[in-house]
Amino acid sequence: MSTVLQARDLTRYYDVAQGFLKPSAQVKALNGVSFELQAGKTLAVVGESGCGKSTLARQLTLIEPPTSGSLLLDGQDAAKASKAELKAMRTKVQMVFQNPYASLNPRQKIGTQLGEPLDINTSLSASEREERVRAMMTRVGLRPEHYYRYPHMFSGGQRQRIAIARAMMLNPKIVVADEPTSALDVSIQAQVLNLFMDLQEEFNTAYVFISHNLAVVEHVADDLMVMYLGRAVEVGAKEKIYSRPLHPYTQALLSATPSIHPEDRRVKIKIHGELPSPLNPPSGCTFHKRCPFANERCQQEVPELRALDERMVACHHAENINS
Amino acid sequence: MSLLEIKNLSVEFGSEKNPFRAVEGLDLSVNQGEIVGIVGESGSGKSVTMMAMMGLLEGQGRIVADTLQFDGKNLLTISARERRKIVGKDIAMIFQDPMTSLNPSYTVGYQIMEVLKIHQGLRGAALKQRALELMEMVEIPAAASRLNAYPHQLSGGMSQRVVIAMAIACNPKLLIADEPTTALDVTIQAQIMDLLVNLQKSQNMALIMITHDLAVVAEVAHKVAVMYAGQVAEMAKVPGIFRTPTHPYTEALLKSIPEHSKGAHRLSTLPGIVPGQYDRPSGCLLSPRCPYVQDKCKAQRPGLTAIDGGVVRCHYPITAKEA
Repeated sequence: MSTVLQARDLTRYYDVAQGFLKPSAQVKALNGVSFELQAGKTLAVVGESGCGKSTLARQLTLIEPPTSGSLLLDGQDAAKASKAELKAMRTKVQMVFQNPYASLNPRQKIGTQLGEPLDINTSLSASEREERVRAMMTRVGLRPEHYYRYPHMFSGGQRQRIAIARAMMLNPKIVVADEPTSALDVSIQAQVLNLFMDLQEEFNTAYVFISHNLAVVEHVADDLMVMYLGRAVEVGAKEKIYSRPLHPYTQALLSATPSIHPEDRRVKIKIHGELPSPLNPPSGCTFHKRCPFANERCQQEVPELRALDERMVACHHAENINS
Repeated sequence: MSLLEIKNLSVEFGSEKNPFRAVEGLDLSVNQGEIVGIVGESGSGKSVTMMAMMGLLEGQGRIVADTLQFDGKNLLTISARERRKIVGKDIAMIFQDPMTSLNPSYTVGYQIMEVLKIHQGLRGAALKQRALELMEMVEIPAAASRLNAYPHQLSGGMSQRVVIAMAIACNPKLLIADEPTTALDVTIQAQIMDLLVNLQKSQNMALIMITHDLAVVAEVAHKVAVMYAGQVAEMAKVPGIFRTPTHPYTEALLKSIPEHSKGAHRLSTLPGIVPGQYDRPSGCLLSPRCPYVQDKCKAQRPGLTAIDGGVVRCHYPITAKEA
């Protein structure tokens, strides 16, 4: 078992213009996130919009440098890498986006798009590239004649298969998938999830699976990280968190997920209000305004992630509310 | 006598010579105070059915039906003027994306008041009072100050509440919600669903929920119609339809959601995709994808047969096979 990805205290702040003559404000989109990912495992990142999931994805794929903190990709520190080294590192981590309609070039044939990563990053000849592309197309369930087709000739599920094939072309160590099935129908979603699982088994790829669908996450994840307003509030093994969530936000998320069978339904915990603006986050624990258990301490003191019952949780009252 | 009675509704698009049937032979009846779920994948005709009933397809589709009756009035023969009196007043609709169903150039207060002015003839202080009341009914905090807010100043969840306030402004007898929570986060989705169900109970409205999320309807609906390629595949009571589905398509849909196969490595899937305009099979529409397909299914389209507490469109419904 080897660690392919190690994030330590990743932070990313953005400056936001407030208007003419006003000082610019700072959005703390990612506020000290740490985790480790092993080869062949899946880390699921869940949270509502604005919690920093996609910012995290941008850091992991080396699209943007973090404001502070370090990122070790396959043992190599991204902050200390030279330009050439960064280029090589980028081939090890690939991304699959939410909307397959927007992530494919409408004016290029599928064969060309799938061959592009090889064209840029390897010195293979054209015929070798075509051979590799065709092999990958078969692997993800596309037919040989699709090689010469354009993206608009495919259905949503097929396009997502193409996007996954493109991500897998360079045999990356890590694939970051940002809501890869939320634009798809239920039966197509199942097909795409199966494809993800099969590819992981075959290539031993590690996944960072970003999603807000907890039913999907339960199926794919090994580990789970729940985020709220730029911070991780609960991190641990999936079985632990699903069987006994300790953070009030995790409890609320799980109870808000509807389920088909009455016996699977959890007691509904109502949380009021909406995600506060990251421009002006609440003091202390950022969740305290919506939390049913909040008291004075939560308003003043930011809870740190601490080990409790075989996972990490950031809540002052985790013991009391769960006993 | 039910509130809404649809018998043998068909909607066609395209040329007379080569029409595309988006909806075919649809029967549906909704009683007062009942929650009916319509589920199906994209392109199954869920939304088109409701739009045909509301008269929103004028000039685009050809609508044929044996009966299309709402509250004793024949919606097929009434004039446009009469229809306008019903639509927005007795039948109201909520769409998927709240941001696109509000006009960005007017305040939300103005948009709620517009409904009241037109349908109830309210003016002046009474008008404002009622608008405020509605905003409070949908649990918008600080309602008085939000009356003057523009849609872009509100979050997605708040905008959806405004849309709901507009829909229930005239105490409709029937509320149609077309994917009302798809664009929202999980915790906000739970809040909106709660609100809709509470309003449905307190106003004794009938509620039609169109969705592709089986779990959402499983929690609230009394009756569910599963649609496939323009036809009702199965219609039955909740929770029976989820415990013992009789149509192979319902069964496949249920099996393909991750909740169903907990602990399994792969999800069971239905191969292929929903047939489009040009590739509808001559026999049963599901026959190319159905795991139980027989010769008769390929040759002959099944009609609707009554089963315990509902109807099913299959030559070999699942319970009959096992018996």
